[in-house]
Amino acid sequence: MLYPNTLHQFMLFNSIDFIIFYVVVTTLYFVVPHKMKWMILLAASCYFYMAFVPIYILILGFTIVIDYLAGIYIENEQSPRRRKMLLGISLAANIGILVVFKYFNFLNLNFDLLLHKFNYHNPIPYLRILLPIGLSFHTFQAMSYTIEVYRGNQKAERHFGIYSLYVMFYPQLVAGPIERPQNVLHQFREKHKFDFSLMQSGLKLMLWGFFKKLVVADRLSIFVGSVFSNPDIHNGSTIVIAAFFFAIQIYCDFSGYTDIAIGCARTMGFDLLTNFKRPYFATNIQDFWRRWHISLSTWFRDYLYVPLGGSKVGTGRRYLNLFIVFLVSGIWHGANYTYIIWGALHGLYCVGYVAIRPYLPSPQNKFAAKLVRLSGIALTILLVTFAWIFFRAASIHDAFTLVRNLRSFGAAPFIADGLNNFAQCILAIVLLFLLEYKMEYHPGKFNFFSSPNIIVRWGTLAFTILWIVAFGVFNGGQFIYFQF
Amino acid sequence: MKNKPVIRFFVRLAAFSIILIAADRLAGLALKKIYFSQKKGQYSQTTYALDSARQDILIFGSSRAARHYSPSIISKASGLSCYNSGRDGLMIPYAAAIQEVSLARHIPRLIILDISPRELGIDRTKYERLSILLPYASEHEQLMKYIKEVSPFEPDKLVSKTYPFNSAAFIMACNTLLAKSVTKDDNGYLPLESSLTKAETADYLKRMEKRAKKISQKTEVAEAKAVAYFKQFLDNAAKYNIKTLVVISPTVLNNSFELDNQMLERNLIEKMTGQYKNVTFLDYSKDPRFNGHSEKFADYFHLNIQGSTEFSQLIAQNVKANI
Repeated sequence: MLYPNTLHQFMLFNSIDFIIFYVVVTTLYFVVPHKMKWMILLAASCYFYMAFVPIYILILGFTIVIDYLAGIYIENEQSPRRRKMLLGISLAANIGILVVFKYFNFLNLNFDLLLHKFNYHNPIPYLRILLPIGLSFHTFQAMSYTIEVYRGNQKAERHFGIYSLYVMFYPQLVAGPIERPQNVLHQFREKHKFDFSLMQSGLKLMLWGFFKKLVVADRLSIFVGSVFSNPDIHNGSTIVIAAFFFAIQIYCDFSGYTDIAIGCARTMGFDLLTNFKRPYFATNIQDFWRRWHISLSTWFRDYLYVPLGGSKVGTGRRYLNLFIVFLVSGIWHGANYTYIIWGALHGLYCVGYVAIRPYLPSPQNKFAAKLVRLSGIALTILLVTFAWIFFRAASIHDAFTLVRNLRSFGAAPFIADGLNNFAQCILAIVLLFLLEYKMEYHPGKFNFFSSPNIIVRWGTLAFTILWIVAFGVFNGGQFIYFQF
Repeated sequence: MKNKPVIRFFVRLAAFSIILIAADRLAGLALKKIYFSQKKGQYSQTTYALDSARQDILIFGSSRAARHYSPSIISKASGLSCYNSGRDGLMIPYAAAIQEVSLARHIPRLIILDISPRELGIDRTKYERLSILLPYASEHEQLMKYIKEVSPFEPDKLVSKTYPFNSAAFIMACNTLLAKSVTKDDNGYLPLESSLTKAETADYLKRMEKRAKKISQKTEVAEAKAVAYFKQFLDNAAKYNIKTLVVISPTVLNNSFELDNQMLERNLIEKMTGQYKNVTFLDYSKDPRFNGHSEKFADYFHLNIQGSTEFSQLIAQNVKANI
C-alpha cells in the first residue's frame, strides 16, 4: 500500500510549510534569468506534488509524456482518421488512469455486489492505493490540451519543460482552476518582471483566500463534521443548520483555495481563470452554474455538452444532454453514489428550470422584480443546499438517514462545541455575506483594501490579518477539493 | 533604476510589518487584560483552577464534571472545601494538564476525576481543544507539552501576542460586556436547567440503536496517547498519595457504552484504576436511579440541576467513606 510521505503529509496552502515554500520559490523566480524561470517553477511544482506520495510523480509523468507526444503527432498528422485515433489514445490514457486510481474499486465493488446476488465469488482483488491528489483536475487540464490541439485552436507545445509546467504549475495543480492551453501556455514564455501592483493585488487576493478558508470554512467545518459524522443521532433542525453551514463551508473552502492559487500565480505575473463569482447570489440554478466552479462547468460545456449536440438538437435530446453533463460532473467528483445523486439532482434542477423558464412571468415593476430576484436566490440556495447533503454524506446510507431525519424537527438543535463556536460560525457567515454583497451589488464602493489613503489601506489589511489570527481555525484543515 | 519596484515593495513590506507587529502587540495586550480580568465564565474558572485553587477536594473532567458535581453539596456533607475544575468540551489531556499545574502548587486531600470512555477513544478534537491553554503558556512552562499536542507549530505561533486568545474573543466579550447575564459558577459547578422529554429520550434510543448496528462491526481501539494521559493522571495522584475517585457519571440510557461501541475503553478504565491502591472506581452509567429518568437530564449527555443535585449527594457519601 502507498502511504503519504510522513515527513510532509501534504503541503497545504494553509500551512507554515507552504508559506516558506512560496516565499522561497517566488524569490527564486524573480532572481533567476528569464530562460531559467520555467525550470524553477517546474522543480518547485515537482517538489510540491511529491510532498504527498513521491512515487505518484510517475503517474503525472506518464500522462505528460503521452499528451505531449499526442499533441505533436496530432498537429503533424494530416489524415483525419489518424488524428482522431491519436486523440483517442491520449484521452484513453488520461481516462484510463482516472478509472484505475479513482473508479476501479467502486466499479469492482458494484461488480462484487452483482455477482453476490447470483451467489458467485468475485475473483478481482481490490486495489490498496491512495488516490493521487488532484488527479481529476490535472487529468482534465491535460485532456483540454490535446482536444484543443486536435480542434486546431492551439499549436502543439514543442518544449517539453513548458508543456510539463502547463500540467503541473503548482498553484493550480491539485484543485484548479482547470486551465485552458490558450490561456496559460503562452504565459510561461512571457517575461515576467517584478510588478509592484501585481504583487500587491496577488497578496491581497491570497489574504482574502486565507480569510475564507480559516475564518469561515474551517470554523463551519467543526459543526458540520460533528453532525455529518453521526447522521443517526441528529434531528431535523440540526441537519438543516449543518447542511446550510456546509453550503457556505464548501464555497469558502474551494473559492478560498482558488483565491490563494490565483493570487499566488498573480504575484509571479500569471493570470489564471476566474473560478467563482459569488454563486449564492445566483437567481436560478443555471445562473448558479455560471458562478460555481466556472472552469469545470465550461470544461463540460465545451468538451461534453457541445459535442453531444448541445442545445442545437430537439428539446428532449437537449434535456438529456444537460442531464448527462451533470451526471458526469457528479461522477467526476468521486467514486461514490452520493456524488452521482448530487450530480443527478443538479441535472434535474437544470432540466426543470430550462423547461419552465419560458413560462416564467416577467415582473411588471421594480418591487416585483426585486421580489422575484430574492425568491430566486432563496430557492436556488434551498435546492443547492439540499443537494449538498448528498455531496457531504460519507455514504448513501448516511445521506438518506439525514434526509429521513429532516422530518424529526421537534427538539432544539444540537450546538456542537458549545455556543462559542456556533456564534463564531454565525459571525463568520454574516461577515462573508456583507463582503460578498458589497462585491456583488456595490463593487465600486468601500474598497478599503485598495483605498488611496494609506492609513485606511494598511489599517484594513492589518485588521484583516489580526482578525484571521483572532478568529481563524488553525488546525491545518484539508481543502475539500484536494480529494478530487 | 532597474530594481526600483523591488526596493519599493520591500520598503513597504518592512514598514507594514512593523505596523502589523505593533498592532498585534497592542491587541494582544488588550486581550490579555480583558481575559485575566474576567470574573465569570469558564475562562475565569480555568484561570482559577490553574493559579489559585487550594481546596481540599479538587474535581477534574469534562463538561460532565462541570455540570454534574456540586462542590457546595460535597463540602456540606464532607466538611471539606471543594472546587470543580471541569470544563466543557475538554477531556483527559486537559484534566492531566490542570492536575499537573495544580499539584505543583497544592496537594489536595482528595481528587475526583469524572471520565467518559469516549475520552480514551480515537478523537483528535480532544487535543485540538487544548489550545485553550495558550493564554497560560508564558506563566506555566509545564503546559507547553500539552500545547504541542494541538500542533508541533503551536509554540512558534505564540510569536503573535493575539494568537493565544484565538477563538476566545466572543466569550470574552460576553463575559465582560454582558457580565450580569452570565451565570456565576458555584466553585466551578455550572448546573443545567432544562429537561429532556420522554419522547426525546425514546427518539434518541431509537437512533442510537440504529447507529449501533452500523458501528458494532468496527474494531474498538483505545488511543494510546489518551490512555497514557489517563495513566499520568493516576500516577501523579499516587505519587502524592492522594485519595482519588475515578467516576463515570450517569447516562440517560443504561447501555450507552454498548451502543456507542465503547466497552473496551470502559473496561480499560476499570482495569487501570484497579492497579492503584489510592483509587476507587465508581460507575454510575447503569444506575437505575438515573437511567431512563429523562426529567433528571438536560440533554442526552448531561444531568440537569435535579439530576446533578441527587448525584452530588451520592458522590458526597463516597467522599465521606474515602477520607
